[in-house]
Amino acid sequence: MIILDFERIWPSIPYIIEGVKVTLAYTSVSLCLGFLWGTLLSLFKVSHLNILKWFANFYTSIFRGTPLLLQLMLIYHATPQLTGYTISIWEAGILTFTLNSGAYISEIIRSGITSLDKGQKEAALSLGIPYSLMMKDIILPQAFRNILPSLVNEAIDLLKESALISVIGGADILRRANIVASEKYLYFEPLLVAGFLYYVLVMILTLAAHRLEKKLKTA
Amino acid sequence: MIILENIHKSFGSHEVLRGISGTISQGEVVAIVGPSGSGKSTFLRSINLLETPTQGKVFIDRICITEKGIDIEKIRTKVGMVFQQFNLFPHMTALENVIYAPLKVKKILRKDAEALGKSLLEKVGLKDKFNTYPPHLSGGQKQRAAIARALAMAPEAILFDEPTSALDPEMVKEVLNVIKGLAHTGMTMVIVTHEMGFAREVADRVWFLDEGLLVEDSPSKDFFESPRTKRARSFLEKVL
Repeated sequence: MIILDFERIWPSIPYIIEGVKVTLAYTSVSLCLGFLWGTLLSLFKVSHLNILKWFANFYTSIFRGTPLLLQLMLIYHATPQLTGYTISIWEAGILTFTLNSGAYISEIIRSGITSLDKGQKEAALSLGIPYSLMMKDIILPQAFRNILPSLVNEAIDLLKESALISVIGGADILRRANIVASEKYLYFEPLLVAGFLYYVLVMILTLAAHRLEKKLKTA
Repeated sequence: MIILENIHKSFGSHEVLRGISGTISQGEVVAIVGPSGSGKSTFLRSINLLETPTQGKVFIDRICITEKGIDIEKIRTKVGMVFQQFNLFPHMTALENVIYAPLKVKKILRKDAEALGKSLLEKVGLKDKFNTYPPHLSGGQKQRAAIARALAMAPEAILFDEPTSALDPEMVKEVLNVIKGLAHTGMTMVIVTHEMGFAREVADRVWFLDEGLLVEDSPSKDFFESPRTKRARSFLEKVL
């Protein structure tokens, strides 16, 4: 019979909880940078310049068409080999998650832009508003508003996927749970704690997303 | 002054405009009427190049705007447009909608822009709606705000694309009254409309379009009293 023995890992639980900060740091920084990068890519996608369009679409297909873990390992191991620069775990993680989430976010924003009524663009054109101002002040603010719920979903995905950083040694929730596990020769309990922490974080985000959606509907 | 020379427009293999020419003088009010699908809106939208003609030339103030390399944004500030679906910016208040272009495109001072915007909104009867967002305005109020927005750039001409077609019947009049008021100020206006009584009253001239051609170009009195063409006659019989 299996008996769960949380008492033995009890002293290590604060150590695992510390990982929440690390996980959140990876998630939030990558999400912000990915949002900026994704916005730029989405502008490429709706631009009239075919070369920009082609680049953004090709880029997206690469980052959506290969495993995130592979991207992470490539960036972590290949960067020193190619450039001689020793990339830290933190840098490799942020870079990978940013590049990857940028691809997904660019698709979200692109669909937000194309779903806007074309009358908005025509009104801006008829007033002589230049393209850059039109995008910045008329189109993107409306697109962002419409896609907020999808962006929160992307944040949730990223939060969970950030656990991959433990593979290259990032001291996030999962990695810490694994360290505790191998110290105590107990696997189930620390992993359950890790799972619980992820679940709570995701639930908080989900709740926030629901609230947001409701607020947007009534506004 | 607006001059159109042999305007053609095709969407794929479908030719919507089949060679329309005409001149609109300063201060003139031209109503464009005709059956649906006759190309009225497409023609109107060719004037400020929201539709690029597949063939033909458009001149505004003697500048050929269909030529390559023309600064179309600058030309568009001279020709305002009012749309059937209003197309107000929903994330901006009525006042912000009106002052955005003067502020950001013409780069006038904020206090001047606000004074201008408020006076224009007052003029169209929206004195108490400065800070209201478009979703909280009625259709008629939206269209009046949209007219104020077009006026804010002090254009030389305004194009109206079926300005009352999306309105509930009881709101048509308030919008038409604003447009009538504008006609008296000497604003050059081109109006695509289904409101025949309004066209008759406000327009100097009527252009009757059918199947992508300008079938009749007459002073509005003549057009409604004694249309020259058979097609115009049968159209008027149906709508009057």
